[in-house]
Amino acid sequence: MSDHFQIAVIGSGPGGYVAALKAAQLGASVAVIEKHHLGGTCLNYGCIPSKALLSSAELLHQLQHSGDWGVSVSNVAFDWAKIQGRKDKVLAANRSGIASLFKGRKVTLFQGLAKLEAPNKIAITSEKAAAQTITADKIIIATGTTPVRIPGWPDDPAMVCTSDEAVHWQTLPKKLLIIGGGVIGCEFACMMQAFGVEVTIVELMPGLLPGLDKDLGDTLAGIFKKRGISIHLQVKVNDLQVANGIAKAILSNGSTIEADRVLISVGRKPNAKSLGLESVGIATSPKGFISVDKTLRTSVKDHYCIGDANGLCLLAHAASAHGVVAVENALGHQKDFIAPIPGAVYTFPEIGGVGLTEQEAAEKQIPISIGKFPLARLGKAMATNHTDGFVKMIRHRETGELLGAHMLGHNATECIAAASALLQQNVSMDDVAETVFAHPTISEAIKEAAEDALSAGLHLPPRKVIRVPALV
Amino acid sequence: MPKLRFPASLSGTKAVAATVKRWLKNPGDLLAKGDLLVELEVDEALIHIEAAGAGTLGTILAGAGVTIALGGDLAELSDAPAPVTTPSATQSTPSQNKAPAMSNSSAPSGPVTPVLMPQAGNSMEEGTVLKWRVKVGDQIALGQILYEVETDKATVEVEATDAGRLARIVAPEGTVVPVKQPVAFLAASDADVDAYLGGSREAVAETTATQVVEETRNSKLETRSESAVSAPASRTESGRVKASPAARKIAAERGVDLASVGAGSGPEGRILSTDVASAKAGARLAKPASSPAAGPGGVIRRPMSKMRKAIATNLQVSKQTVPHFYVTLTIHADPLFAFYRAQKPATGCTLNDVVLLAVGKTVGEFSAFRSRIDGNDIVEHPAANIGVAVSVEDGLVVPVVLNIERLTLAQLAAESKRVVESARNGKIENMGKGVFTISNMGMLGVEDFSAIINPPESGILAISAVRESVLVKDGAIKAGRVMTMTLSVDHRVVDGALAAQFMAKLKVLLESPEQLIG
Repeated sequence: MSDHFQIAVIGSGPGGYVAALKAAQLGASVAVIEKHHLGGTCLNYGCIPSKALLSSAELLHQLQHSGDWGVSVSNVAFDWAKIQGRKDKVLAANRSGIASLFKGRKVTLFQGLAKLEAPNKIAITSEKAAAQTITADKIIIATGTTPVRIPGWPDDPAMVCTSDEAVHWQTLPKKLLIIGGGVIGCEFACMMQAFGVEVTIVELMPGLLPGLDKDLGDTLAGIFKKRGISIHLQVKVNDLQVANGIAKAILSNGSTIEADRVLISVGRKPNAKSLGLESVGIATSPKGFISVDKTLRTSVKDHYCIGDANGLCLLAHAASAHGVVAVENALGHQKDFIAPIPGAVYTFPEIGGVGLTEQEAAEKQIPISIGKFPLARLGKAMATNHTDGFVKMIRHRETGELLGAHMLGHNATECIAAASALLQQNVSMDDVAETVFAHPTISEAIKEAAEDALSAGLHLPPRKVIRVPALV
Repeated sequence: MPKLRFPASLSGTKAVAATVKRWLKNPGDLLAKGDLLVELEVDEALIHIEAAGAGTLGTILAGAGVTIALGGDLAELSDAPAPVTTPSATQSTPSQNKAPAMSNSSAPSGPVTPVLMPQAGNSMEEGTVLKWRVKVGDQIALGQILYEVETDKATVEVEATDAGRLARIVAPEGTVVPVKQPVAFLAASDADVDAYLGGSREAVAETTATQVVEETRNSKLETRSESAVSAPASRTESGRVKASPAARKIAAERGVDLASVGAGSGPEGRILSTDVASAKAGARLAKPASSPAAGPGGVIRRPMSKMRKAIATNLQVSKQTVPHFYVTLTIHADPLFAFYRAQKPATGCTLNDVVLLAVGKTVGEFSAFRSRIDGNDIVEHPAANIGVAVSVEDGLVVPVVLNIERLTLAQLAAESKRVVESARNGKIENMGKGVFTISNMGMLGVEDFSAIINPPESGILAISAVRESVLVKDGAIKAGRVMTMTLSVDHRVVDGALAAQFMAKLKVLLESPEQLIG
């Protein structure tokens, strides 16, 4: 095996493996160093396993309400071991999928822990093989992040867990305390409630899903409460104690919550501590994220950083997009990273959002008009009994441009793609309103909300009109 | 000229300003009482403004996308059908909201609108008419493609910037026409065109000679008055200007020629709606006041206006008594441009505001630039009061922004906007209190010029266009934006070395503009 490559990628998550494939496609010799399973967090601990579990949860949820559709099902039951087993099969298939993609493009895979010894030089160590060193013209760091654990709290991984453990739970808890009501916390809350777990969420900020448009988190909280999930907002967990199989959380408002398992989902921190960044001189932020410029280059030439590791956007599709841009730049083509990144939350109903939120517009003092369309008024939603949710469209009042789209509803994660594509083309809200969406669909609520942003919604009550003569 | 204004108070909403959504009437339309004129939006409602009485709609002062306050001006009313305008007059900072008074044409013939060869790109000097897409007698709509023209760079489709009947084509296919010269005329009848061509040829020639800079409505040097980007518009292989759908729509609504917006801020120079929104439509320019009859040989004599006399006297004294010394410097303008874009949403600043702030700080530091000669003394003024040269219909005025050394960027932006608008409305703020002046001709594509000092000041800074150019750094060539500035100083007060130090400091501030708000 040669030990010099044009491109070396550290990490094979959605950032790393896509970068490797792209580099190979552009004709470079590529090495990937992976310390664990192919596919990184997304495939092994994040996107894929959680969506596999959520799909079982959603089916269960629908069956529990099947009477609404006039369908009666007796003995609705689930087999947790089988659910986990299916998920494991999905993971295995995806891992070998990446392996064969690598083989097809002649990407060389090194299984082991990478460490930067010097610029352009990587030392690889593993328990199974002898240590070796490779060199590369360009290095792409895609080492990702891991869930934050709170120092000082009990670290019994069976009782105080992060999402890394939670997707692989072999048994279900009876009472689950979820600390952190962000995307991951909400997805697990939704999932676990469907499986019959008593769920409590504790969140520091005034609403669920901070960081997304506020209406989304607020509406989801209402839906969760109706399903029996307890939510405590603007509250901090001051201390967590574990004794005799019971976890006890002491909250900042004085109350205590007991549970037999705790999920900590308060954020993720970068993984690059043991990468040897200092030996190369790569600069990081105080939190440890690697600093990059618009071309995703680090402070050291020939070294790039993509995905979670650079802290720009902790989403798998952002990592993949970074991967392509970084490889283009590494191989000499100038490309900036500019596209809008949609966000998706796989609760049921789902959430999708892209672009400016109402709160961001207010902070930046951008004059906006807002259009909103509730799914309860939408034909497809009513026909299919998925009436929870809304679409919210944000328009620049002076230029007419589409600035943001935020949606809660059935299949929102799919529907948001239309808005994301339009946003990337800098369209005006009129362009969105003039786009013909098929009827009846959930996605046509995007068009309805766009019309409302123009004060021209046909399926909504007419906007108030104040008619006055001009002054002369 | 009577104006239509937004009501001074509104019941049913707490809003104190509204954004114009769309006009339902066009300039020239006859209005009856109760006709719906314009739709505006506030958060909770739509505002429909109807005509209070009969009349004819004149120039629109607040177009689609403009936010206006209670009592603000919407449009002008005219008693007769909107008169046509001819290419003439100086407007170095064209404003969408300001329309100079329409003059009365003494000619009895109908209005005639010339269709001019546009300047699609700063280096374009002439174009060859390749193919006419319309014919004489056709009714032309705004935005309709009239003809294809070949320039040295590409073949361009020219869109109509006026509506009307195509009465005469004076540049048949194959003709080479210099930019801003007529290729055709819109008029109700051919006779109107004859009358127009007979009477106004001399007037046009005269004004060309007397004005400092010429701008025509049809060619629409739509460069943004704040950030004069003079890179030509980016085009697809077929010659179509690259612009987003939103940009095209706004451009069509506002009568903006996309080709003259220049390179946009989207990917590969694509013009975005925000680029068009900040480009101001060319001012509707009046035909010069009734042309006196031509004397022998076609020579025309006119008395000087008061403003013209004042300008003539002042500048003559300046040039004859003040020993002018010039220092020129070109800065790398990408940081300035990026800083302006970043600050604009929160402060409402223009690119010129950022430059003005930097100049204010530098004038504050260099006392000689706040000084003047009085007899045998040199008198130093404490404040950086800086005049901003503003072009108005008949010439030039210089309102002053006071105490720039004490202002934040947001405060400066508000104040400069206020004094410039005031100047255009005839009131010159803080006249005579300036210690230094800046003159910005960047929005007209000027690459370099030297200004004449405004006595009794000791200096004036001429600012030229932000343009794309070749930068050389550490021996490597790359493309970037540059901006040239020329300082004129009174060498009795400011020596050459000091002038050079002033410019060097200004360059540092403009190339690292974060220091201005640090």
